[in-house]
Amino acid sequence: MDATGALVLGLALLVAGVAAWWLRTRSGAVRTTGAGVSELEVLRSLGVRPEDADLTVVQFATAFCAPCRATKARLEQLRTSHPGLAAVHVDAESQLEAVRALDVRRTPTLFYLDRSGALLGRSSGAPRPDELRALVAAHAPATGAV
Amino acid sequence: MTPARQVDVRGPRFGAWITTVVLAVVLLTGSGWLLAVQAVVFAVGAFAGLRYAPYGVLFRVLVAPRLGPATEREDEAPPRFAQLVGFGLALVGTLGYLAGAPLVGAVATGLALVAALLNAAAGFCLGCELYLLARRARPAVRP
Repeated sequence: MDATGALVLGLALLVAGVAAWWLRTRSGAVRTTGAGVSELEVLRSLGVRPEDADLTVVQFATAFCAPCRATKARLEQLRTSHPGLAAVHVDAESQLEAVRALDVRRTPTLFYLDRSGALLGRSSGAPRPDELRALVAAHAPATGAV
Repeated sequence: MTPARQVDVRGPRFGAWITTVVLAVVLLTGSGWLLAVQAVVFAVGAFAGLRYAPYGVLFRVLVAPRLGPATEREDEAPPRFAQLVGFGLALVGTLGYLAGAPLVGAVATGLALVAALLNAAAGFCLGCELYLLARRARPAVRP
């Protein structure tokens, strides 16, 4: 039995446990951020036009990101029942300048903009389905909703 | 248009559990040769494709028939990239163990174990998420 190895194994299990807990509590949660003027400028430079929809969701994704694909599918599905929702998908790898300017560290990272261009919040990791649905329902009501 | 190759999502998760166990045994025994075998397993998945990955074959032949048909499939690229990250760590670890630097071997193996366990237990692909951080740190290759 290798004592150093056993110690590293214990540490690895501890790190994995803490990381799993952190992901469970933080990942995907929508955070509100400070004044979003510069964020809006960067997003506009990527062709995002918040005035065209009640709620614009911008997703930064990479080819190696499985949750990005699931999130994209979820957004497309929500768009069928919420016509005021627009989804923009940005290939993070080809927009590294914007990635740095917006401090995008993980994929998927999502930005939520209302029609006035105000940044409602951002989230990293696949958004939680309930939270995403509630956010979309609050800003881009479903067809037929009063 | 050729459709992207798809895999049953349960396959890579199953493989990640086996990888976790193998890496734990590597740490407990300090065996560079066992880690070398795992490095080859990673390399097959990363370079030849997940269809040829040994644990994936094991999953298809032994496990999948007992579980019933796949309910969810995913694109091969993300788990394949994860295999590449695993290969890099296993290669460093193997060289460490076999060149008489067991601490290097143990640390690299430990990092790979964290990634494999997070993938197995939480479905979280560490390598995939860190990919952007790594790309960000370097200047863009393309103009």
